Amino acid sequence: MRKLVQSFIAVLVVAFLLLYVSNRLNEAEGDAGDHTLVVYNWGDYIDPKLITMFEKQTGLKVIYQTFDSNEAMMAKIAQGGTTFDVAVPSEYAISKMKEEGLLLPLDHAKLPNLKYIDPRFLNLSFDPDNRYSVPYFWGTVGIVYNRDMLGGKKITSWNDLWDKTLRNQILLVDGAREVMGMALNSLHYSLNDTNKAHLEEAKRKLDALTPNVKAIVGDEIKMLIANEEAAVGVVWSGDAAEMIAENDKLDYVVPKEGSNLWFDNMVIPKTAKNIEGAHQFINFMLDPKHAAQNAEYVGYATPNAKAMKYLPKEMIEDKRFYPDFNKIGHLEVYKNLGKRMLAYYNELFLQFKMHRK
Amino acid sequence: MRRMKWGNVYLIFVFIILYTPIFYLLFYSFNSGGTMHHFKGFTLEWYREVFHDTRLLLIVLNTLIVALFSSLISTVFGVIGALAIYYVKSWRVKQALLTLNNVLIVSPDVIIGASFLILFTLAGIQLGFVSVLLSHIAFSVPIVVLMVLPKLQEMSPTWVDAARDLGANEWHILTRVVLPFITPGIFAGFFMALTYSLDDFAVTFFVTGNGFSTLSVEIYSRARQGISLSINALSTLLFLLTVVLVAGYYWISRKGSRLYGMWKK
Repeated sequence: MRKLVQSFIAVLVVAFLLLYVSNRLNEAEGDAGDHTLVVYNWGDYIDPKLITMFEKQTGLKVIYQTFDSNEAMMAKIAQGGTTFDVAVPSEYAISKMKEEGLLLPLDHAKLPNLKYIDPRFLNLSFDPDNRYSVPYFWGTVGIVYNRDMLGGKKITSWNDLWDKTLRNQILLVDGAREVMGMALNSLHYSLNDTNKAHLEEAKRKLDALTPNVKAIVGDEIKMLIANEEAAVGVVWSGDAAEMIAENDKLDYVVPKEGSNLWFDNMVIPKTAKNIEGAHQFINFMLDPKHAAQNAEYVGYATPNAKAMKYLPKEMIEDKRFYPDFNKIGHLEVYKNLGKRMLAYYNELFLQFKMHRK
Repeated sequence: MRRMKWGNVYLIFVFIILYTPIFYLLFYSFNSGGTMHHFKGFTLEWYREVFHDTRLLLIVLNTLIVALFSSLISTVFGVIGALAIYYVKSWRVKQALLTLNNVLIVSPDVIIGASFLILFTLAGIQLGFVSVLLSHIAFSVPIVVLMVLPKLQEMSPTWVDAARDLGANEWHILTRVVLPFITPGIFAGFFMALTYSLDDFAVTFFVTGNGFSTLSVEIYSRARQGISLSINALSTLLFLLTVVLVAGYYWISRKGSRLYGMWKK
């Protein structure tokens, strides 16, 4: 009995000691209390130095929380129970959140730095007049390929993927809209096409691609391609940038038929408590210098036109990740197709996945 | 002789399988290359990064604090629960209670997590430290019950009778006879709860919020950008800490068994 009590007291002492240390650490990090701002973002998607800077500038303490998918984030926000003052969903999630009334409208008077954003990235279909969101990062869907493994052959279009020499060499991301979009684009249709005949045609075209497809995978695609397990991958530009950083034999191309343009955007969810602070934070991130610093840290493309000045030349001149103005015309943003059409896309994608070689 | 040899080979094989991933991870925590597949050179950079990342350190502390408090509290509840089940007279009720206990152990974490999320939001409890602690206690209690109950059943009822004959009251019986006898079970339950709490992901994932996070959840959400090797460094440190703890526990129990002769059980 004595031993039991002694051990329990020892554990309690250790626990309270840790609690004390953690509280001290928390205080050292900044002033806790009412002046907090909760930012809900993708993992490792901001330069931590910017958070410190923001805290110093405003006296607010930032609690930075992370999520791994739009769906998880939406579930948490819809459920309530937590405060999130700023969140960073992708465009299709924004139209969904808008429909479900999960967002608060932005006060543009409090966001003077919005003027630095490239007009190409404003007033888009998923959020007209940017009533609820401002762009954070953007990118494309494209093809990453290994020059050495293809023997110097260049890939420039989606249709190159159907080449017989690429047998069992292609990895695809496991996304219905990405893969269906690729097939639609290769047929010169819009990737928001809702014409069932066109979609069937795209599906038949995908079936013809099956012999070339090695696997349809998730996040591990980055590692597989960097390790040269496959020569070609259909991926998002940010992932491609990471792979290229790891393996310099890789190259990334946005196919000439066109592709998807995606955005992650800052919004204020309805769970926000510190709305004033949220505007301050968004405005802070829109500042060209801060946006540049962030883009350099994260590696995705910034939508901030003025920020380009502060970025290293080789970075913004890299056409792979900062495509040309006139090229942007080919790129389309996903529209919210509605539940039934999306289900149809998913159905066709599933059929393709089950199709035998 | 021959059989012994094959047995050893098998044992070594099992241990290699168990420890290779850990050593693989440990090895690359010293890689200056920054990835898990080309070892470039030796560096302590990632360890430096861990100690400079206050947020990560805070999360580690949170994880430990939740683990310690939740396993302590659930041990108390679990022991009381085991005693209650042990003293239930009706066999039917006893079996029913045990079954209910086991259902909680077997049921998937995702379901427990989701139902806690709904419960907490309905009850208006802010997600954060309290919600994580409460749910960890909840899934640890059945484990402690399961660890303590066999010890109780092992105990000969004549001990209690003898103590009563010698004039002990209920309190004395509990603290002088029953609890000392089941102490190994209580410790086992405590450590089981501790490990369960430390590595739980699914339940915690649902009930974290308001800036409170644990290590498993944090690592998972960082994985989207590819895990940095500082996570390797941190895991190495935690692994070494566990080795030290296990060694300490072993040493204490050896010493204890010599002094009191009660740890041998």
